[in-house]
Amino acid sequence: MSEFLIHVAAVSCLYGILALALNLQMGFSGLVNFGLIALFGCGTYGAAFAHLWGWPPLAGLALGLIFAALMGLFFARLGARMSEDYWGIATLSLAEIMRLVFTNEQALAGGAQGVSGLPVSFAGLAGQGAGLSRLALYAALLAAAFVLCQRITRSGFGMALKMMREEPQLARALGYDLGRMRAIVMVISSLMAAVAGFLYAHYLSFVGPEQLMSHETFLIWSMVIIGGIANNWGVVAGAFLMQFALAYVPFVKDWLDMPSDFVAATRLVIVGGGILAFLIWRPKGLFPERIGGSHG
Amino acid sequence: MTRTTPALATLLAATTLLSAPAALAEITLGAVIPLSGSNATPGEDQRRGIEIAVKEINAAGGVLGEPLKVIVEDSAGKPQTAIDAARKLVTVDEVPLVIGSYSSGITLPMGEYLVQEGIPHLNPASTSGLVRNIGDSSFSMVGLDNVSTEFAAKEVIANGWKNVAVLAVNNAFGQGVAQEFQKHLEAMGGGVKTSVLFTGGQPSYRRELQQLEATDPDAYVFTAYGTDAALIMQESFELGLQEDAPWYSILITMMNKDTAPEFKQGLSGMDVGYLGAGGEGYAATYEADYGETFLSAYGGYAHDAVLFAAKAIEKAGSTDKQALLTAIRALGDEGFTGATGEIKLDANGQRMSQPYLKFKVEGNDLVQMD
Repeated sequence: MSEFLIHVAAVSCLYGILALALNLQMGFSGLVNFGLIALFGCGTYGAAFAHLWGWPPLAGLALGLIFAALMGLFFARLGARMSEDYWGIATLSLAEIMRLVFTNEQALAGGAQGVSGLPVSFAGLAGQGAGLSRLALYAALLAAAFVLCQRITRSGFGMALKMMREEPQLARALGYDLGRMRAIVMVISSLMAAVAGFLYAHYLSFVGPEQLMSHETFLIWSMVIIGGIANNWGVVAGAFLMQFALAYVPFVKDWLDMPSDFVAATRLVIVGGGILAFLIWRPKGLFPERIGGSHG
Repeated sequence: MTRTTPALATLLAATTLLSAPAALAEITLGAVIPLSGSNATPGEDQRRGIEIAVKEINAAGGVLGEPLKVIVEDSAGKPQTAIDAARKLVTVDEVPLVIGSYSSGITLPMGEYLVQEGIPHLNPASTSGLVRNIGDSSFSMVGLDNVSTEFAAKEVIANGWKNVAVLAVNNAFGQGVAQEFQKHLEAMGGGVKTSVLFTGGQPSYRRELQQLEATDPDAYVFTAYGTDAALIMQESFELGLQEDAPWYSILITMMNKDTAPEFKQGLSGMDVGYLGAGGEGYAATYEADYGETFLSAYGGYAHDAVLFAAKAIEKAGSTDKQALLTAIRALGDEGFTGATGEIKLDANGQRMSQPYLKFKVEGNDLVQMD
C-alpha cells in the first residue's frame, strides 16, 4: 500500500526536478523549450551507455551530464539566431531527431528494443528500505534543485533573466549579453534534467527511445502550466499533482468498477483537459508568479 | 508543513479506501495489457482471452475452491505506465502473479520489475529474444522470435526464394524479427537483399516499397500490424510489386483482417498456432461471446496464461510466491495443455515448442496449409 505511495512520490520528485528545469528556461527566461525530453534523454542514455560498455553507473552519470551540457549549449547557440517561437519548433525537432537516431541506429543502444537490465539503485536493501532510500535521495536532490532555482531566480542574474523574457531589446540595450545568459540557463537546466534522467534510468532499469516521445515533454509542460509558470513552488506542486492524479486513476476505476479502458481516456483528459482548463480559467496556474523585488 | 500533513493523510486514506479488496475469499491475479494506444486491438483480444479463461475456471469451481478474478490494467503502450500498473497490482492489490504485456519494449522492463519483487511473471505475447534474460521468475507462454523466424526462414527456402527483401515495422518487435530472420536465412544459405524498417501510421509507404523493389528480390517478406499492413498491401498491388515477386507475411493474422481481398491475392505466410489440440472449445466460446472470430493470434496465449497460472496455484496449494514459483516450474516441466497446444518450459522458463501454421489467402480468408 504505502509502497505504491512511496513509488509515486519518488517518481514525482524526478518530475519535480524536470519541471524546475523547464521553469528555469520557459518560466523565468522565456525560452520556450519543446524539446526538454531530449535533455532528460541525455541522462537516460548516459546510464545506458555506461551499462552497455561495462562502466560503473557513476561514470554513466558523468557521461550523461557531459551530453546534456553539450546539448544545452547547442540549444542555446541555436536560439541566438532565431526568434522565440521558431526556437521552440527547433527544440522540438532536435528532440525528435535524437529519438529517431536512437530508434534506427540499432548498433548504438539496441535501437527500438532499447537497453534493459540496468542495475536498480538501492536494490540490495530489504523490504521498503530500497524504496525509502530512493525517495530520500530523490527528495534531497529535488530540494537541492529547488534551492538552486530559488537562488538563481532571486539573484541579480534572475532579474536579468526576467528582463530577457519581458523586454529582450531593453536587456540588450542595457548591456546584457543575452547569448551568454541563455547559454548559462540552458546548461544549468540541462544538467538538472540529465540528473533526473540518470536516476530514472536506474529506477526503471530500462532505457529506450519510446521514453523520448514528444508527449513526455508536454506532460512536463502541463505540470508547469498547472502549477504556476515562473513559480518554483508552483511547478513542484504541479509535478506532484499530475503524477498523483495519473497514478491514482486506476484506483478510481476499481472503485467505480469501470472498464479498464476508462483509465487511458481519463489520463488523456487529465493532461489535455488540465492544460486547457488552466490556460482558459487560471493561466497563471495554482501558484501564480509573484511580481516585484527579490522576495518573489 | 501544517497544510501538507492533512493532504498527505487524505491521500493515504484515499489509497486505503479506494483499494479495499472487493471480497476476501477470492484468488486475484493481475494482468497488464495495452488497451489504448497503437496495440489496442491485440490488447482487446488478450482481454477477451483472459475473460473467457476466468469464466471457464469459475464455471469449473474456481481455484482452490475460491472464485478467480483477474484485475486487468492498461499499459497504454508505455513502459512507465505499465510499470506503474504492475506496481499497483503488486503492492496494493497484492496479486501473487502478473501476466503481461504485449510489446517486448514493455514486457522487458515490466518483467524486470516483477523479478526484482520476486513476483512470478507470465509473458503471454512478447517474442523478442531478450525476454529470455528477464530473470528467474519470468516465464513465457509463447515461443520467442528466434523460433518463429526460423520457421519462416525454412518456409522461404522451401519455396525456392533465395534472396528476399524484408519489410518490418520499426519497433522493438519488428527490429527483432528482421534481425533474427536474416540470421536464420543466411545460415540456411539464403540472403537478405535489403531490410527496410518503416514507421507505423504513415499515410503512404510508397517510398519504402520502391526501396524494396529496387533490389529485385525473389520474394518480399514482411511483418506489419493491422491498418499499416493493409495500406502496404494496397500500395504494393498498385505499384505492381505483387506481380514481380510473391509476398510472404510473418505473423499473417496480425494483418489479414484489415486487408481487402483484392490486394492480397496469392499472399502466404505463417503465424503462431493460436489453436492447438483442444483449442476448438476456446474458439467456439470466443465466437459465441463476441460475435466474431479472433482479433489477433494473441488472445489464446493470454487465455492459456490464466489457465496455466490457475493450475499452478492449485498445484502449489496456496498463493505463496515461493510455492507458486516451484509449482510453475514443475508444471512447465511436465507440460500443460491449453488452447494453444502443449506448453512446456525450458530451463530458462521459455516455451520450448509451439505450433506454427502455414497459411495462404483465399478470397478474404486464411486457409491453413500442411
